[in-house]
Amino acid sequence: MSPGVAGNLALVLGFVLTGTGLLLSVLAWWAKDARYVEAAKRAAVVSFLASLLAFAALEWALLTDDFSIAYTAENHSTKSPTWVKFATLWAALEGSILLWATLQALYTLLAARRLRDVWMAPAVLGTLFGVQLFFFGVLLFVTNPFTPVPNPPTEGPGPNPLLQNHWMMAVHPVLMYLGFVGISVPFAYAVAAMLARRYQSWVAETRWWTLVAFGFLTAGIFAGGWWSYEVLGWGGYWAWDPVENASFIPWLLLAGFLHTAMVQERRGMFKSWNFTYITLAFAATVFGTFLTRSGVIQSVHAFADGPVGPVFLGFLLLVLLVGFGLLSRVSAEVRDLGGISLLSREGLLLGGSLVFATMAFVVVLGTLFPLIVEAVRGDEVSVGAPFFDTVFAPLGAALLLLMGAAPLLPWGRVDPFAARALSFMLSALALFTALSLFLGAGFGVALGVGLFAYNLVAVVAQGARGVGAWRRKGEGYLAALLRYLARARRPVGAQIVHFGVALAALAIVFSQAYRVDAQKTLEIGERAVVAGLPLTLRRLEARDEGFRFAVVAEVEVSGAGRMYPRLHYYPTMNSPLAAPHVRYGIYHDDYLILQAFDTEEGRWATLRMVRTPMVLWLWVAGGIILFGVFYIVSPGFARAARGSEVTA
Amino acid sequence: MKAKYWIGLFVVVGAIGYMIWGGLGQSLVYFITPSEYFEEPVRYQGKRIRLGGIVKEGSIAFDPKALELRFILTDGVAEVPVFHQGTPPALFKERQGVVVEGRFQDQTFYGDNLLVKHSETYRPPEEGYTPEDVRNLIREAK
Repeated sequence: MSPGVAGNLALVLGFVLTGTGLLLSVLAWWAKDARYVEAAKRAAVVSFLASLLAFAALEWALLTDDFSIAYTAENHSTKSPTWVKFATLWAALEGSILLWATLQALYTLLAARRLRDVWMAPAVLGTLFGVQLFFFGVLLFVTNPFTPVPNPPTEGPGPNPLLQNHWMMAVHPVLMYLGFVGISVPFAYAVAAMLARRYQSWVAETRWWTLVAFGFLTAGIFAGGWWSYEVLGWGGYWAWDPVENASFIPWLLLAGFLHTAMVQERRGMFKSWNFTYITLAFAATVFGTFLTRSGVIQSVHAFADGPVGPVFLGFLLLVLLVGFGLLSRVSAEVRDLGGISLLSREGLLLGGSLVFATMAFVVVLGTLFPLIVEAVRGDEVSVGAPFFDTVFAPLGAALLLLMGAAPLLPWGRVDPFAARALSFMLSALALFTALSLFLGAGFGVALGVGLFAYNLVAVVAQGARGVGAWRRKGEGYLAALLRYLARARRPVGAQIVHFGVALAALAIVFSQAYRVDAQKTLEIGERAVVAGLPLTLRRLEARDEGFRFAVVAEVEVSGAGRMYPRLHYYPTMNSPLAAPHVRYGIYHDDYLILQAFDTEEGRWATLRMVRTPMVLWLWVAGGIILFGVFYIVSPGFARAARGSEVTA
Repeated sequence: MKAKYWIGLFVVVGAIGYMIWGGLGQSLVYFITPSEYFEEPVRYQGKRIRLGGIVKEGSIAFDPKALELRFILTDGVAEVPVFHQGTPPALFKERQGVVVEGRFQDQTFYGDNLLVKHSETYRPPEEGYTPEDVRNLIREAK
């Protein structure tokens, strides 16, 4: 038995078992017999085991340097460190689809374990099996990583050097896929709800899943930004690259869905809207894969052209067809309860949700616009970051305004407490914006500071309201606070998330506005002030690190130790990759890049110093947002593991 | 009551639409070659451009003190003088395919971002560049 044989066997097994699961789900639906549901749940278990086997087979080939299959022959190198070998599984197209299929099987399994509703179970399982079957089918018939190689080489090129340059690449794709795949569960429930005509309850039942997917997506996006910051050597964290956009679109749609789903849960409104939202969010994950794997759009992440593009486009159309077909069939039956007042929690939640939808639309438009221009006018263009920046600034400000106010307002109305809190918040906004302007900040920065203060007051006010409710029941201050924190997991978690978002916005505003970027060529031993820092170039050193060749500059920062920016040369790349030295700081980061050096005698080097304020706080904000999501979903993990009903 | 909301919605959608439309027009980056520039120089004046071509032999002038780089970019047919503030990247040399982002001012191209073709699969063609090679260069440079 070789890895190739084992892998192919596992894929066939997985495909057949998934197909069986789908068949059993359909039978359960037609025959209305719960025994078929039980059998389909078992199919979920065994098909997950099959996917795990395929995953293990590919790892087996990678870790034992077996070049007899296409994937290792094209993407593996014996010289890579062990962690790179392991992560090579998701460093190229075929392997990343295998990771996707494995995670899909995992989610199908977990979702199957806690299905209680006999009416919806067959349709939920059927949808998940359908999605899973697509991925197994792609693996088996379109991009099979286990395709045998007639004359196995003894050494391969290794994965893309950009991916080997940082350990984050072992983590970021997995987080991203956990998020993407997680959206399939609420989508499956939504499809089932439409099929079974039980329009109300699916939102509450999938709340936990939606939040888990949202948490992973958030983590994946922040991890990707951090990777970009540490590896790409340009001192930025977000470039509006098509692949970044492809991950951002589902995040925006999911965020919007989370907010209107709350309104449906509590007030029975926005049923069609929520169904549309989750369909689009799920479709967006497929859309992103299509964009980046088809060669339609050029990007750092894009893999070469291949037959995968049309296949994913077909799947995308199928998802949209199913979603909107069902929606049009049932939209006549969906009736929302009651009207809506704009100045109420649901009114502001709707407003926020619309902003998210607009943002998603803008990102889609900006990403696809080059294709439209090329089709219409024949010009080749790209849409620059300034477009996204200028449109996102006002939309972001609107979001920050709504975000502070919405959780404070009661459902359906405004009460005196909320009115008072709002007046405090708006005063803080006005005061801090004016103060920042007075201190010489630009309008954008001043507004950013004002909105941060506004949201800070909002968080305090909301906490005061929660604690006050327990105080009125006769608790002391501390006891009331603890009870509020322990009992009100959703509002408390949401507050934490909102605070994290406000902090992230502040960090983005400052890092964009006050970035200093300068470069200078220094002789060995020469001292010069670059971007306000006195630097001395001490020496240049070349190192052979086996799988790559490194040139390291030793730079002394007067009074602050030494920094070691590097250039990495990989055998498969004809230009070096910069590995900047980043020194994180509370006020700003020092980001030193070795731009170029004297290749003949090693007597000079060009150094570039980027000093960006508050970048550290962006990563802290990411951590806070994740903690907030975790605070809400954590009680559900134990229950999910037991397989009982989860409500966050 | 209803009409008020519709007007509000109309104003908001209009404002967003105006913002998007204006923003798109302002921030398009055109991918062109020197000869395409000379076909319609007026059209590209002041616009943000990603210009691709080959560094002409013997045209590189670099002042390391001021970090000012001047060279001539060619696609075999037309030539454009380029001014770039900053250091040339490690692989920058004569007859190398490069992409410069920036704007035309009169006949000179002022670049602020200089990219040497950076793909893991790309190898410069042995027998010199054709206009198609230059096109691919621009498209793939990142």
